[in-house]
Amino acid sequence: MAEENWIEVGSIDSIEEEDLIRFDHGDKTFCVYRLTDGFYATDGYCTHEVVHLEDGLVMDDEIECPMHQGVFNIKSGEALSPPACEDLKTYPVKVDNDKIFIKID
Amino acid sequence: MKKKILILGGGQSALYAARETRRNDEKVSITILGEEKQLPYERPPLSKDYLLNKKNEEDLVFNNSKILDDKKIFYINTNIEKVDFNTKTLVSNNEKEYRYDILLIATGSENNKLKLDNNLENEIHYLRNLEEAKIIKKKIENKNNIVIIGGGFIGLEIASSLSQLNKKVTLIEIGNQLMGRIIPKPIADLVKHTHEAAGNKIILNKQILQISKFNENYKILLSDNSELEADFIIAGIGSKPSVSLFENTDLKLDNGIVTNEFCETSIKDVYAAGDVSNFYHPLYKQYIRLESYQHAQNHGICAGKNISGLKTEYTSIPWMWSDQFNLNLQLTGICENFDEIIERGKNIENGIIYFFLKNKSIKGACGLGVAGKVGRDIRITTKLAEKNVMVDKRILGDESQKLNKLISK
Ligand SMILES: Cc1cc2nc3c(=O)[nH]c(=O)nc-3n(C[C@H](O)[C@H](O)[C@H](O)COP(=O)(O)OP(=O)(O)OC[C@H]3O[C@@H](n4cnc5c(N)ncnc54)[C@H](O)[C@@H]3O)c2cc1C
Ligand code: FES
Repeated sequence: MAEENWIEVGSIDSIEEEDLIRFDHGDKTFCVYRLTDGFYATDGYCTHEVVHLEDGLVMDDEIECPMHQGVFNIKSGEALSPPACEDLKTYPVKVDNDKIFIKID
Repeated sequence: MKKKILILGGGQSALYAARETRRNDEKVSITILGEEKQLPYERPPLSKDYLLNKKNEEDLVFNNSKILDDKKIFYINTNIEKVDFNTKTLVSNNEKEYRYDILLIATGSENNKLKLDNNLENEIHYLRNLEEAKIIKKKIENKNNIVIIGGGFIGLEIASSLSQLNKKVTLIEIGNQLMGRIIPKPIADLVKHTHEAAGNKIILNKQILQISKFNENYKILLSDNSELEADFIIAGIGSKPSVSLFENTDLKLDNGIVTNEFCETSIKDVYAAGDVSNFYHPLYKQYIRLESYQHAQNHGICAGKNISGLKTEYTSIPWMWSDQFNLNLQLTGICENFDEIIERGKNIENGIIYFFLKNKSIKGACGLGVAGKVGRDIRITTKLAEKNVMVDKRILGDESQKLNKLISK
């Protein structure tokens, strides 16, 4: 059932605005972002090399990788600036009772 | 007749300039003339993931190289041997002539070579391009006692890769620290310790007096009369701009091609970008020559804009990285001419950064940490250097306070 795929990440207060947190679930790892217009989620690792984006810089709708400054659009996952050239996977997010959930497939 | 843009040199700057020119002008003809067989590719992995077999040749080609066809940008594999700026003509080694209306020179840089007084010069390996990387990769398969001459970024990155391939590595550096004086000594020392902990031997303050050969091996005589043995030698002893083609021309040269803030050279309709250009930086009010990935890209884009008639100043703050073992080193801004240094962080697990200040504003920073740990703060530093604002030093030096606070102010 689709409902079961919504995984609780934590309370909305756990992420500051224009920031992100790392969220691990099973053997998977994600980044969950709080932008001015809501919450978003992507895969945790940069698509360029294996570095977690948790230490990256969030600027508007973009996350910049801390390793070589590859840039991705947080909402679409699109790779915007080299050396990143492969898009980042994104995941649906919902907020229910001040709690953030992401839908993992 | 269509306006003809020629780009000499087929590297990163050339690609980004071509792409930007096309973005702004659909009509001009754009041709890149490059001596390498491959379409423009990334050099950083040559000393790292390519040597480590984590990336192959196809992975290195810029994703953007694929757009060359779509955007009708021609790549001609040829070596240019002569330039005539009066007739606006380039001539290749097989006597073919190429005419231009506008020329961009993006010939990059080339490695300095060791001068030896015997015929062993051809046996020393260097790393600048894919062909050289391929040869090194093949030849080291059955070598296990490798000496690297030069403790700069490229030498150290090769040392890191070879160590991860279980080779015995000795690196010799002439100076009293690794990576040159531009890197804070404590950071250079941490890098040294990391290499040593992985089994690499690092020798500082020694010069090479002589290299000789016995059987299939080499003997290296150092300035303290000690001797080393090696079965393979790689030198990374710095580089120089690729300008030999222009030496007897009117083009103004001084540590590369002298370029203003609009990528224009001393000759009308001739531009230069990337490693080869010694450009005027309006924020620093001085000429700078950089050899870095980010600069090659941004300078190429800026040249493309100016070539298309969009007068654009180049004001990008320098930034570069080096990856060795699990460490990522980053350098931003200009780390010379400062009056104060502030240190942030205590260990490489969370990252250590040295900020360079002048008159209380940040000029640059150098950071070292486990992959990913210094990038965000270095990026914020770049933004602060761009704005040239005074910063709260307590926040800079206090790891528990986020630097984001400083940009929003
Ligand atoms: C091994 C290595 C590792 C690196 N690692 C990093 C890193 O980790 N981080 C970082 O920031 N930077 C790194 N760099 C630096 C970065 O790759 C360069 O600064 C960048 O490639 C410069 O781009 P460019 O277009 O100016 O020149 P290049 O990429 O050097 O391209 C110039 C091209 O012009 C060609 N050419 C020259 N003369 C002629 C001629 N007469 N006719 C035809 N073609 C000609 C050359 O063959 C070459 O293909 C590294 C460089 C190397 C070599
Ligand atoms: S690891 Fe993210 S850009 Fe290289």
